[in-house]
Amino acid sequence: MSFLDEIITFAAQNRDAMSIEVMQAIKIDESFYKVKEVRRLTDETFSLRLPKSRFTFKAGQHISLGIQGDYQSREYSIYSGENDEHLEVLVKEVKEGYFSPKLSHLKPGDLVEVNGPFGKFRIDEKKINDHKFVFIASGTGIAPFRSMVRTYPELDYQIIHGVRYGNEAYDKEEYDAERHILCTTGDKTGQVHGRLTKYLKKTKFEKNTQFYLCGNSNMIFDALELLKNKGFDRDQIHCEVYF
Amino acid sequence: MKYHLITLGCQMNLSDSERVSAVLEQMGYERTEKEEEATLLGMLACSVRQKPIDKVYNKIAQWNRAKNKRNLITFISGCILPADKEKFLKLFDLIFPMSELSQLPDMIRSYGVVNAASLQTPKPVMPKNEHIVDLWHIKPKYESTYEAFVPIQNGCDKFCTFCAVPYTRGREVSRPSEDILHEVEHLVSQGYKSITLLGQNVNSYGLDKNGEEISFADLLRQIGEYGKASGEEFWVYFTSPHPQDMGRDVIEVIAEYACLAKQIHLPMQSGDEKVLIKMNRRHSMDKYRKIVEDIRELIPQATLFTDIIVGFTGEGEAEFQNTVAAMHEFQFNMAYIAMYSPRPGAASYRWQDEVSQDVKKDRFHRLSEVMKTHTRQYNEQLVGKTLRLLINGTDRKTGFSTGLTEGKLNVRLDRKAPDLKGKIVDVTITSAADFSLSGELVLTEEQVES
Repeated sequence: MSFLDEIITFAAQNRDAMSIEVMQAIKIDESFYKVKEVRRLTDETFSLRLPKSRFTFKAGQHISLGIQGDYQSREYSIYSGENDEHLEVLVKEVKEGYFSPKLSHLKPGDLVEVNGPFGKFRIDEKKINDHKFVFIASGTGIAPFRSMVRTYPELDYQIIHGVRYGNEAYDKEEYDAERHILCTTGDKTGQVHGRLTKYLKKTKFEKNTQFYLCGNSNMIFDALELLKNKGFDRDQIHCEVYF
Repeated sequence: MKYHLITLGCQMNLSDSERVSAVLEQMGYERTEKEEEATLLGMLACSVRQKPIDKVYNKIAQWNRAKNKRNLITFISGCILPADKEKFLKLFDLIFPMSELSQLPDMIRSYGVVNAASLQTPKPVMPKNEHIVDLWHIKPKYESTYEAFVPIQNGCDKFCTFCAVPYTRGREVSRPSEDILHEVEHLVSQGYKSITLLGQNVNSYGLDKNGEEISFADLLRQIGEYGKASGEEFWVYFTSPHPQDMGRDVIEVIAEYACLAKQIHLPMQSGDEKVLIKMNRRHSMDKYRKIVEDIRELIPQATLFTDIIVGFTGEGEAEFQNTVAAMHEFQFNMAYIAMYSPRPGAASYRWQDEVSQDVKKDRFHRLSEVMKTHTRQYNEQLVGKTLRLLINGTDRKTGFSTGLTEGKLNVRLDRKAPDLKGKIVDVTITSAADFSLSGELVLTEEQVES
């Protein structure tokens, strides 16, 4: 480890104890964070926990994540709530991918580079008291919704989560059981056996609903079309695509 | 002591190059267009497309061969992906982000001197932008005497899947509004007539400062107020806005002030909702439509330009037809149509480029034909009207002057006229073509007498 690496490591480990002014004065990059925990959720999916420190964001936003010494970065929605003690992202490892396997091999104490937060995929706080919120997610697209639910306990929400198998209902126990609809295509462990669009088709939603869609583009296309056909305006439907 | 500078890519790089020239000339270097005369050879690169990167490799190979014959220092800066930066470290003598331009003289002076700092190998990391303000403090050496580009923001936080800019220029950072106003005022006092505010997402201006900086609309308002008080005739443009942050307030301000040019470049990229989602554009067609309606309502005389990509991953014929329909609906005065090509570093580079080159070409031509019908129609209704024109060049064939209207429409004068380059004059439009107009200079009494 070079002297520079040692300084960065020291700063990342002691960021809570150091003022921004001190870090700036000794030219320490404030965007490095030390991994606190890699929390395995399934064989392929894990959450990466970092110290939240002074990082502020709005639930639903995303960050750009890099690994020290690597030249690539990727964007991930924030999985933790605004007031949680750690900053957390949810990652599905793409075996043939470049970046996620590297993330999955991180250990507590390793350094990652965080930039952000970014994005406008977030709750309009003025609507919390008189609107219903329907969160529609495929796979790890549930990440921003967990952040929203943890941030706004008073939210009148429903999560419709489409996954292949029941074990991919990440942190399901954190949600009110009646607010969480799991749709599974690969087994029959969800309330709905089939794609989440099957549930959307047969369900009636109230007019004052705000829809939030997050996940792969095919799910978003199909859900968007269904909701438009049900008569909802485009500005009631908010989309965040994962790529 | 001479330097040679090659600038590749967009207007932002051109603007940066004016600041590089200023720094080098302050050191005593003199610019030369002949590489063989220079002892300092530099490039402002563009990693956003493959072609300019290929050019960098060709050029540095030549320059490194030339080092066998004479002493040279080479440098590179600009818009560089971290992966390219790693390769350039081995090829160029000096590599630095634009935010460290003010340190270039020290780098050149200490080049070849072995010290602890020069032995340290820089590590590639995500581009940082915090010190970009230092770049903006450098007074540029403007290349033109009547047209200038003023950076107001650097970086991008939008992460469109087809684009690598967030990975080359880093996060959005807004330049202090006071500095921008000073530069605009200075330019106007020097007689500049066309000023373009530059940024990757100009209408996100100020948002990174969390309330400590004015909004883009307020920045335009302050420029507008200055324009009104100055009594000078000049046109202020901006590029590029992102529809996501384009509010009615911006359009209202443009409508209110004469110096804010009645020309809006509003990138659409696709007319299809699904393709927009796949591009991660974060706005709907309804939102785009609303902006255009606001423009038509508040500034009916404004010309509307756009950018469109055809053949993006996921664009089938049905999706392309939605873009054709949007082209008919919005009747752009100009659309810069590009055939999609995956760009290293962008998210879409990891996807299969599924639309064949032949289909892309076909869509490009079909969409261009649609555009022509609207531009021609618009241009024809201008015949007989008198417009203000900024003379900016000479037609190669006829030798007569050419210029741009406030709406950035090209006009060729149809006969010889006095040399008025850099002046705004009246021109009566005499004929129209698909993408240009011909006109006759309306001479003032003063010009007739001289």
